[in-house]
Amino acid sequence: MAPLLKLSRAIDAVTAFVGRSVSWLILVAVLVSAGNATIRKVFDTSSNAWLELQWYLYGTVFMLAAAYTLQRNEHVRIDIVMSNFSKKVRDWIDLLGHIFFLLPFCGIMVWLGYPFMMNAIRSGEISVNAGGLTLWPAKAMVFLGFALLLAQAFSEIIKRIAVIAGIIEDPNEESDLPPAVREMETPAHLTEEGPKA
Amino acid sequence: MIELIAHNLAPIMFTSVMALLLLGYPVAFTLAAGGLVFFFVGVELSVFAPDQIRLFPNLLQANANRIFDVMRNDTLLAIPFFTFMGLILERSRMAEDLLDTIGQLFGPIRGGLAYAVIFVGALLGATTGVVAASVIAMGLISLPIMMRYGYDRSLATGTIAASGTLAQIVPPSLVLIVMSDQLGRSVGDMYVGALLPAVMIIAMYCAYIFIVTLIRPKAAPALPAEFRTLGGGVVSLLAMIALTVGLHYLLYHFVFDGLRYETRFVWSATLATATALAVSLANRYLKLGIISRLAEQVIIVLIPPLALIFLVLGTIFLGIATPTEGGAMGATGALILAFIKRRLNMTSLKEALDSTTKLTSFVMFILIGARVFGLTFYGINGHLWIEELLLSLPGGEHGFLVVVTIIVFILGCFLDFFEIAFIVVPLLVGPAETLGIDLIWLGIILGINLQTSFLTPPFGFALFYLRSISPAKAWNDVVTGKFIEGIRTTEIYKGALPFIVIQFLAIMIVIFYPRLVTHYKDDEKPMNLEDVQIQLPGMGAPTAPGAPSGLPGLPGQGGGGLGLPGGLNLNGAPSGLGDQSGGGQQPAQPSLGLPGLPGGLNLNGSPPPTGEPAPAEEPDLSQPPPIQ
Repeated sequence: MAPLLKLSRAIDAVTAFVGRSVSWLILVAVLVSAGNATIRKVFDTSSNAWLELQWYLYGTVFMLAAAYTLQRNEHVRIDIVMSNFSKKVRDWIDLLGHIFFLLPFCGIMVWLGYPFMMNAIRSGEISVNAGGLTLWPAKAMVFLGFALLLAQAFSEIIKRIAVIAGIIEDPNEESDLPPAVREMETPAHLTEEGPKA
Repeated sequence: MIELIAHNLAPIMFTSVMALLLLGYPVAFTLAAGGLVFFFVGVELSVFAPDQIRLFPNLLQANANRIFDVMRNDTLLAIPFFTFMGLILERSRMAEDLLDTIGQLFGPIRGGLAYAVIFVGALLGATTGVVAASVIAMGLISLPIMMRYGYDRSLATGTIAASGTLAQIVPPSLVLIVMSDQLGRSVGDMYVGALLPAVMIIAMYCAYIFIVTLIRPKAAPALPAEFRTLGGGVVSLLAMIALTVGLHYLLYHFVFDGLRYETRFVWSATLATATALAVSLANRYLKLGIISRLAEQVIIVLIPPLALIFLVLGTIFLGIATPTEGGAMGATGALILAFIKRRLNMTSLKEALDSTTKLTSFVMFILIGARVFGLTFYGINGHLWIEELLLSLPGGEHGFLVVVTIIVFILGCFLDFFEIAFIVVPLLVGPAETLGIDLIWLGIILGINLQTSFLTPPFGFALFYLRSISPAKAWNDVVTGKFIEGIRTTEIYKGALPFIVIQFLAIMIVIFYPRLVTHYKDDEKPMNLEDVQIQLPGMGAPTAPGAPSGLPGLPGQGGGGLGLPGGLNLNGAPSGLGDQSGGGQQPAQPSLGLPGLPGGLNLNGSPPPTGEPAPAEEPDLSQPPPIQ
């Protein structure tokens, strides 16, 4: 188990690094998009390349950050039934879900995504819009995103088995708050003051 | 037996995937896996029911392109922008400044703090679309003050939670963006359509508070005058407001009278507000003493939200920016604002980006899962099954809307709004179009409904947020020196109930008085694109219920162009049809005149052959011109 856990830690480190790095692209996308609108209004000119850059950036962000989001257990669940189960049952649902839902899905998408990317690279396909961008970097994100997600799926399976076997503590701490907003929930500047005087 | 299964594959698929979702494994992956499993089952069974099952092995490859279409969806690009804007605004503490000042203004009247919360909730809602931030800020700041002065606990918590959910219906809200994407309508129209219903809901909240103050004055007492540390001076504020409104009226009717309705409104309101600001700033810095300190402070704290509203909604309605770009303008504005207030540092910026990334990633993956599910579900004519089911309801248009409202209301008690929007809403488009229901109208009805889902116990998110920040144990109030009991969860639930009733009334009003929404069409010429779509035969399933939609064996012949029966917009986006050219918010353009083109088959991964610039259409002033 030890070498597997080591592998899992390595995968986690890579996906977390990728996820945190691409988050900066959101800031870039914000500035590009606001710039596009301003320039179009002020200079009455516009470029399809810059318009396309917005979704290139956003697509890159959410495709490449999916693995990081999985690692942080932030993909939403419908937890009305689940919350009544014991921790043990929930661990097993996660493990079986990773194996029977996530792995096949990512596997098929990697398998489909590779020719999808290679075709675009080989043909040097360019966006149909006048002055548009070369398409393959965007299309490659389908493949890369799912490849990362596939790796993360393996890491999650290893961790979940280790948790069930009692080898490690659950890496995702239990919380009453929905994961998606947990971080939004901790406005440090507000909570430290408590009920305001 | 096998034939029976083959003929009923759609209901079997739908119920079994829904049951799997309840297991609690992440929605995105459960949907996708369900779609894939039933894809293979469907391919095997297709010989037994060739009329219903239109799946074949190579169709699987369409998934890569369908995910790529999710990526190049311009409309949904607004999600990260508005989320990021909300997170930055939260850190700039705009909510606190507003509550502090507006609370002082309204405090000394009966129910005043409650009105202040509603007003601030609406303002926060109009700048960003994030419920969590609003509820948390208002709960932390207003709830202790309301408790201190003896507000009824349920009334206080209910008002705060409900006002926080206003972010979901007041434009620019994420619900409206996602809804217009799924319904294939322009976000701009959705915003215009949402304006009056949103104002109506705000008015209904205030009316409720007013009635409570009449019946049970002790539930919402007036605050003592010393609470107002800024001093009095309401008269000069009223004078300023009168001046602003008068100026707006003059500009609207005499200066900008040649412009389009929204444009006129935005320009005159902006100029009038700017004048009021100029007076206040002059008063403060030149110490003119024309207006009171209270009036000056109220007007000055209103600058940031009003400027942001102009940046976002103003630019959208004026046609300077697409809704997506409006979000980016707002986010930039929020960054500048936080920077000026010295409340932006590297850590908070990183945190905001990190949260935005994870939130958008899970949202977009639900959509990806839904599209993998949809490829199979539509391939086995699942949409026709749902359509038959919904069209068999009695009562025509109103019957359909009422039943849909009830279904979504119940689902909303258990599901996230993103889940409802991506899974349920696409299924409603076909039947709604068959009944001739305006999709913007439907979108607003669903939007109010989803807003309500934030309020329904036990899973309403707004209640959840409020619970997480309101003190559960008794605390010592430093000002009065008294111990105040903690807030019980049942008190929060009880407080939400009257507001749920109000929401329900609001939905019924919108259903029976559609003019509240459909005025968005008034500026358009009678012969617009939507009408053209409806008249075209063979354009896809929605217009030809029951009829086999095109040639058998060719999924995607419907005209939507992406391996789907057209018009259903399972694509999640009207994409692939030239919408990237800047005018990304035009309604989905069916590939007019190209109904037979197997655009969706597209097995070699090249862009669909319909991916040319959209056909000529009448200019839509709310959108920037597409670049050809």
